[in-house]
Order: sequence, then C-alpha cells, then structure tokens
Amino acid sequence: MTLDIQTIEPSALHAEMLRLRQEKKMDFLVNLIGMDWGEEGLGVIYMLESTETGETLTIKTATTDRQTPYIDSVSDIWQIANIYEREVYDFYGIRFLNHPDMRRIFLREDWVGYPLRKDDKTAEENPLRMTDEPLSDTTTEYYRDADGTIKEKKNVVWGPDEYVVNVGPQHPSTHGVLHMRASLDGETVKKIGLVLGYIHRGIEKISESLTYPQMLALTDRLDYFSAMQNRHALCMCIEKAIGLEVSPRVQYIRTIMDELQRIASHCIYYACMTMDTGALTAFFYTFREREELCKIFEDNFGGRLIMNYNTIGGVMYDIQPDFAKRVKEFSKHLRARFHEYQDIYTGNVIAEQRMKGVGCISNADAISLGITGPAGRASGWHNDVRKRHPYALYDQLKFREIVREEGDTNARHWNRMDEMLESLNIVDQLIDNIPAGDIQTKRKPIVKLPEGDYYQAVESSRGEFGVFIESKGDKSPYRVHYRSSSLPLANAMDTATRGQKFADLIAIGASMDFVIPDIDR
Amino acid sequence: MFDFTTVSTWFHSLLTGVMPEWLAIGIECLIVLLFIIILYATLAIILIYAERKICAFFQCRIGPNRVGKWGVLQVFADVLKMLTKEIIKMRQSDRLLHDMAPYFVLVASFLTFSCIPWNKGLEILDFNVGAFFFISVSGIGVIGILLAGWASHSKYPMIGAMRSGAQLISYELSIGMTMLVVILLNGSMQLSEIVQQQADYGWNIVRGHVPAVLAFLIYLVAGNAECNRGPFDLPEAESELTAGYHTEYSGMHFGFFYLAEYLNLFICGAMAATIFLGGWAPFYIQGADGFNSVMAAIPGFVWFFAKAFFVVFLLMWIRWTFPRLRIDQLLTLEWKYLMPLSMINIVLMALVVCFGLTIN
Amino acid sequence: MEKRNYFSGVGHALKSLTIGLKTSIKVFFEHDETEQYPENRKTLHFSDRNRFCLEMIHNERNEHHCVACGLCQMACPNGSIHVYSEMVETPDGKKKRQLVKYEYNLGQCMFCNLCVRACPHDAIRFNQDFENAVFDKSKLIMQLNHPGSHLEEKPKPAPAPRPAAPAQPAAQSAAAPAKPAVAPAKPVAQATEAKADAAQPKAASTASPAQAVKPAAETPSVKPASEAASPASEDINKES
Repeated sequence: MTLDIQTIEPSALHAEMLRLRQEKKMDFLVNLIGMDWGEEGLGVIYMLESTETGETLTIKTATTDRQTPYIDSVSDIWQIANIYEREVYDFYGIRFLNHPDMRRIFLREDWVGYPLRKDDKTAEENPLRMTDEPLSDTTTEYYRDADGTIKEKKNVVWGPDEYVVNVGPQHPSTHGVLHMRASLDGETVKKIGLVLGYIHRGIEKISESLTYPQMLALTDRLDYFSAMQNRHALCMCIEKAIGLEVSPRVQYIRTIMDELQRIASHCIYYACMTMDTGALTAFFYTFREREELCKIFEDNFGGRLIMNYNTIGGVMYDIQPDFAKRVKEFSKHLRARFHEYQDIYTGNVIAEQRMKGVGCISNADAISLGITGPAGRASGWHNDVRKRHPYALYDQLKFREIVREEGDTNARHWNRMDEMLESLNIVDQLIDNIPAGDIQTKRKPIVKLPEGDYYQAVESSRGEFGVFIESKGDKSPYRVHYRSSSLPLANAMDTATRGQKFADLIAIGASMDFVIPDIDR
Repeated sequence: MFDFTTVSTWFHSLLTGVMPEWLAIGIECLIVLLFIIILYATLAIILIYAERKICAFFQCRIGPNRVGKWGVLQVFADVLKMLTKEIIKMRQSDRLLHDMAPYFVLVASFLTFSCIPWNKGLEILDFNVGAFFFISVSGIGVIGILLAGWASHSKYPMIGAMRSGAQLISYELSIGMTMLVVILLNGSMQLSEIVQQQADYGWNIVRGHVPAVLAFLIYLVAGNAECNRGPFDLPEAESELTAGYHTEYSGMHFGFFYLAEYLNLFICGAMAATIFLGGWAPFYIQGADGFNSVMAAIPGFVWFFAKAFFVVFLLMWIRWTFPRLRIDQLLTLEWKYLMPLSMINIVLMALVVCFGLTIN
Repeated sequence: MEKRNYFSGVGHALKSLTIGLKTSIKVFFEHDETEQYPENRKTLHFSDRNRFCLEMIHNERNEHHCVACGLCQMACPNGSIHVYSEMVETPDGKKKRQLVKYEYNLGQCMFCNLCVRACPHDAIRFNQDFENAVFDKSKLIMQLNHPGSHLEEKPKPAPAPRPAAPAQPAAQSAAAPAKPAVAPAKPVAQATEAKADAAQPKAASTASPAQAVKPAAETPSVKPASEAASPASEDINKES
C-alpha cells in the first residue's frame, strides 16, 4: 500500500506520540525506520497501528543537523522502540534523547561512520579489523537538561559483580549466531542482553544499489524458513506500487506456497524446540515429514530452502503437473503423523512441566514489544496479518486465527502446532481448484516505482514481515527497510526470561522461534 | 551351574606350587587388573556402538555405517582419534585439579565395576558389606565432576558441576534406599550372597513382588540420574551448557569422562540385573524340569550380560524418548516423589519379609 | 493449567511417559529415512529446475547461442558473470560482436536464475551437476564457453549469405533456432505447461520441448534485449 505520511517537527514529536498512544490507542509500533533524505536531513518514519480500531498511521520527523542529530526517544511509549532506535542510531547516527541504551547494535562498537547515510564512506573508514571486537559494559544516555542543553551520562549495563554467561554466538541452542548475555543468580536469570550483528549482511544497504528484480534474490536469505512469504511481500509491494495485477493462478500458487512454507517452518520449530529441551528423538520426527515437503519444493522451485520462486508479476515456474497430487498426499501423511508429535513430546509430562507457566508475556507487553505471529497470538493478541490486512487469497478463505490467552511457552508451542493443521486446511481448500492462467503478467523489463513510500506486510512463519520501500522514481529503491519478524521476538527474551531458570531461557528462546539472519538482515 | 571358584582355586594352587604365596597373589592381582581393564575397554566400545546404533534407530536413522561393516570399527576410529588429540592446557585453569578430575571419575567407575559378580564364583571384590562398598565408591565420581567444573575456571562447567553435585547426591539416596529393600529381602549385603539366594529362591523382582517391582522402577530412574543420562543429563545438558562440566576438556581427558559415562551406564544395568533380575541365575519355571535344564546349560555370565544389556536397553529407550528435566523439577522428583516412595517401600518390604509374604 | 493433586499427577505422568515410550519404540522398528549418498548417486533424482551450476549450451558442432550482449551480466545481482567480447569484421565489412570468454564465478552465484531469464537466446541454463566442491576457490571461476566454440550459424536461410543472420541478432531472437540434440531429452510439454502456453501464444510459437519447461515466463524479458542492447554494449566495451 502507498503510505500517506504526516510530518511532525522533532520538538513536538514526543508529546504528539504520547497523545496518539493514549488518545488514539496507537499501541502497536509496527516499524521505526531511519531515513536519510539528504537536503531534508536525517529522520525517522514511525508506522503505528491501533490494535483496537485497526487504524494505521505513518509519521515522519526529520532534523537537518547532520553532525549531531537528536530526536526524542519514544522507547518509553513503546518498548520495542528501544531496539529499533538503537538500529537507527547504528545506521544513521541519530541520537535519541532519553533513550537509556545508545549503543551500536548490529555493527562493531569501533565502527566508524554510519553506513546507511547517503554520504557515508564505509569502505574507506572501516578496513578489515584484526582486533577483537570490543564489548562494552556501559552505555551512554543523552538527555536534555532543564535549560535545554543536551548532556550525556553513563549507564551501567553489566555491573562488575554480575555473573554474566555468554549464551552464544557459538552455542548449540541459539539457532545461529545470536549472542545473548545472561546475568545469572544461581540458576535464575536476572536479565538478558542481546549482542546482534554476527550475520549482519547489510541487505537493506545492498538493496539500494540493486534493481528491483535483483533485490528479490536477497529476501529469501532473510528469514530462510519464510523464504516464500518474504519474497511474496516484496513482490506484492512492487506490484502494487507499479499497478501490476497478477493472475488468479499466481495468487493461488502463492497462497499455497506460503502455507506450505509455514508448515515447513513450523516443522523446524518443533524440531528445534524438542532438541533444545533435550528430546533428541522427537527432533527427527518433523524433519522426516519436512523432507517430503522439501522434495515437493525442490521439484517445483529448484530449491529446498532458497527457492527464488516469486517474481514481479508472477512466479518463476509453473507448478509441476503432479503438484496437487503430491501436496494432497503430504497433507494426508502429515495429518496421520501429527499425533506422534504430541505423543512423544507435547503431551509428555516433562515437556508439559517445562512449558506450562514458563516465560509468560502479558497481552499489553506483547503489543508493546511488537511480538507478532504465533508467539504474539499466544498472548491473546489477534495480530494475524492474513486477517488484519488480507492479501493474496486470504480474504476468500475460511481459516481460524489461532489465539491463546496464556502467553506462556506452552501456548506458543501449541499455537504453532495448531497452525500446521490450519495451514493444511487452507491448502486443502485451494489445491483442487487452481485456475488456469498466466504465471507471469507482462511488465516492462525495467521496473521503476513511482515516487513515494510503499509498505506491504505478510504473515510470515514467525509474524509480520513487512517491506518498506521509498522510491525516488529510479530503477533502484532509495531506501528499503524490512520489518523483521524475528527481531521483536529476540528482543522479548529479556521480558520473558526474567526470574526464570537458565534452562527455561533456552526453552523460551526455542518457543520464540527467531531466525538470526532475519534479526540481523 | 558352573562354579568359577574351581578354576580360581586350581590356578592359585598351580602358582603356589612353584612360587611363594605373596608372589602368586601379586601375579593374580596383575592378571585380574588386566582382565578388568580389558573388559572395561571392551564394554565401553560395545556400549558406545550400541548407543549410537540404538539412538539412530529411534531417530529414523541408520547410525554409523561407514567404517567397517555396519560401522563396527567406528568406535575404534573414534578412540584412536581421541588418543591422538592434544590435551589442551588452559592458562586459567587450576592445572593439578583439572588434570586429576577425570581420574577420580575413572577410579570410581573402576571400583564399582569391580564389585559386580559376573558368574558364580567369579567376583573380584566380594565381601560382606559389598552393597555398602558399592554405594560409597560410586560417590567418588561426584568429586571428580565437581573438581572438573571447579578447576576449569569457566562458567558453563561451573554450572554443570554444581548441578551435578546436587543431582548425584540427591539420587544416591534413592539408590541406597532401593538397595536396602533388596538387602532386607535377602538379609545380606554381600552381592554374591544376594545372587546366590536369587538362584536358590527365585529372582528378587519376583520373590519380592510389589515392593521389589517398585524398587526396580525407582532404581531405574535413580540409576539413570546417577549416570547423568537423559532425561537427567542436566550436568552436561548440551542445549544449555554446551557440554557441562567437561566443556573444557579435550583429548583423552575428555575420553575418560566419556568412557566412565558409558561404563556407569553398564554398571547401572549390571547392578540392576544383580540385585533384581538374579544376576547370573538362569530363568527357571517351577515344575518345568526340561526347560529348566536347558536354561541351566546356558553359562551364568551369558545370563548376566543378557540381563545387564536388557536394562541398558531400557535406559537407552528412556533416554532417547524423553525431554530433559529442569534442575528444580529434577530435585522435586527426587525429594517429593522418589524419596517418600522408597521410604514407604522399605517399610512395605519389611512387612513382607516379616510376615513371610514373599513368593517361594 | 489444570491442577492435579499429588496422586493423580503421578498417574498422569506415568500415563504420558508410557505413551511416549510406546511412540518411540514404534518408530524404532520403522524403516530408516537416511539417504545414503554417494551410494545412491545413480538413483538421485533432481528436477530440471534445480539450479546448481550455470552452463552454456553447446551443440555437437561445438556451437553456442551467446551473442555476448551482456544482458546476463547486467541482470546478475552480485557480479558473478563477466562477458568478454571483441568486435570482429565480417567478410562483407560489417562489424560484429563475438564472444571471447564467458566467465562465471560459481562461488559468488546466488542461483537466482535472473541471468537465464534475461538471456534472449537461451544460451545459458542451470544444470544439475551438484558436486561442485573444490579445494581451491579459484577453481570456482569457470569459463563457460568451450574452447574453440563459436556462435551457431542460422541453418534456416541456407541460400542467403552468411553475415545476414548475425547482423541483427536481437531482432531474430523471437524466431530462435530449434534446439539441436545437445539439449537433453526433456519431458514433452505437460498438461499445465501447455495450458500456460495456450494463454501466451508468443511463447507457444517458439515452444520447442526444451523451452516448454520454462514456459511463458521468459517472454517479457525477450524485449529488453533490443531495448537495452546499447547500455549493455557500452558496458562490455569497458570490459574488453
């Protein structure tokens, strides 16, 4: 959708945001995007949504001071802003006043410059460093004094007396190179700090120099278990911006693929969850079924993990003739096997004890922390993008949005289990009546988006995945931002794990099901 | 049933015929030592191979199948690798304690290993408080694990070691209690005597019926915990503590922990076989004399190994099915469920024995 | 969370544990899923959509279809392709671009298929050779045009003089030559693809069996060939 952006002066920002939060109930901060508009200065785009009324609002603010840009922090209004603002600080050097923790987040702490600024000389200022990466225990907070001058003070993140255990970046159950620093009191977790960026590839920056069709190749590599949905989001965003209609056949194919991808992703989730809680056999059960799915993927897209399937205006290949038959077989097979997963793990008393009442996140916290997807729905938040902003065929389909109220690990686990079956239901509704038609709408060879801002969200396997594109009318985007579905999940670890046992930290992490390349982008 | 004492007395008299008694005993000791070490290593290799294969079958896999036929040489290759690996010395660690720790674990494992009656008359350490000795030497392993965690000067091993301390000490209570049940039933602490009684009067698990079955189940749970095996593998919980107390060990020092872990598994199975399933005593059905004579023809040590490996398979089955417990749940299980149950069980067994309610 | 008292809790626990043990022992006796590579190398099945390594299609006369237009190089998101070409003068005095070296870096390739879609002459495709591991990463930089190969001559206008065809290759692209035997036998156009083709007559007109596998989709990218030819040639001049 094209975004209609309101501008607010930095000086009035905080008061206005507070008013929006309180009066208009804009309680969900969808996105917080740093921007460099050149002449106009550095700024931030805030995308807000009300979970009560469903109203959305996009606000921007900008400061022309490029040397020491200051903007008020909104991290006291929305908890998720804390980590988003750190990202903006990291990439654009905008300092957020009253933000308690202004450290770099993805880049090294000794990084010079701010890479997403249009005038940054990243390569020259940052040669390959052979020294260890510094990891500071203190941080800086900027605040405005009573007389209006800006001052800074040191905040201590990790005190000298704390028993800080590094979980990651090389750890069996962080599912990649996530680095969590956990302060322990015996076996009890006192707090968690995230150290991100070990697999930061600068995809948003790279995309600025690629053409739109080329950009597509990178989305599969964000959240690789939602490759299909990610690329769907980007294709839809571009298609809507250039006014390209895709044929019903493509819509059907895309919807089916999204759901199959979701099943595959939740299979992986189950496997990781069981392995992280020590049930090493159950791990293989869903892998066994996922293998069937991967074979279908492979025959149809030529890839098991990185599919490169959606294109602007269509899909890369038509589905194979035996596709429907194989998917139906798989559907039957998975339904038949499904009870095994519950028998060996979910219904097991040990697993129940490990999951029930552990890592609770309240509804208000979930919204404030922007936890979307099955994890957010476990806290009673109806946040399914397929229902909120239907896309593809989802408005014509009958499916249940799976929501639970408990907000604990068990609810998150069961949400995913149920979603597997619900996705099968969706696939079953579609698979028999895929209409004939083009698999590729004709388009101009060179894609140029009209000037403007566009945003498109999809429900990826782990929550809302959004693509934000600002175009100046060129064949490459001016700014691309991906709303990561995993970053809020990882960020919520601190809230969820405080006071829990160290072993629960792992279980909660598994139940959040974050994918690290999606966090780091 | 073949009595092995005839062999040992013959051998002893053979040696004393040509040399003074002290030398004969010395040579016998050496032979026994050699026997233990070889058996220990062989069993470890068999167990590691069995574990990998069984685990694979539980997980829809094949397991090792590249080195040798069906991968039988895989473990030898692994041992070779481990022997040739460098033992890394860390600057921060407490060197002496760090190097000593694996030996404590190994020694504990060896000593408990020596208590097992293999066959009629084939026991290495066998005296009137054998069961008591078994429990006490198995406790030495805790020291090794605690030392390993402490001396590594590293955070994960430290947490692992502390967990292990709490866990092993707690579950030793249950082990002790279940052994008491058996001792009550047999009226002896001598392991050979316990087995002999089972050969004469029927296996304890049958003879002691309800309390014995309960004790057997408790023993399986507690024994599994004693071996640090899933679902009680918290000290080395891979997904949490990477490798727990032996995170910082490499080469053969790690190998010792690994060996001891598998041997403890076997010892657990062997002890369960000894005190509940009749050790080397064959399976008899009263009245069926033909059947019984066939059973008696099978050597005692075959019976013993069959029973021990049956229990080992049960333990592996449990390990490869269940998720891991959390430390507080682990302690809850012991102190709130197993302990009271074993106490009641002792009273029950006392009553059974007192009123002569045993079968046979 | 339903509350259970001490004893029913124990009962529930034992029941659930037994169910777990039952499930795992059931799977214990089921067949294994392991794929035994490399023993199963012969039976390994890959669909022709699998993208493992780029190759240039050569026929048995060592001829390819590459006119060195450089569209694939431009389409590549991370510069895995370098097309080196030279201008040669044909016997009748016209200048003509000729492929010298088609360099492909497998180590950098993202297998996004954009180059194959961009090619107006179907000169390149992805093959299913998946055993690409090498000990030296310089071996991953490959030259795709075989030594001594040259552009395939147009067999159709036999009486016409030779230079006529290459003079305007882009314009002729729609009437691409029928694929010679070098293309491996592909399944004959199947039901769904025929459907897609029917909807897209242009693709159907050129549908040789090999092309039918990637139907209609390539039609839009045929156009840029003529449109974008000039920037491409600049780019290539720089390279060569």
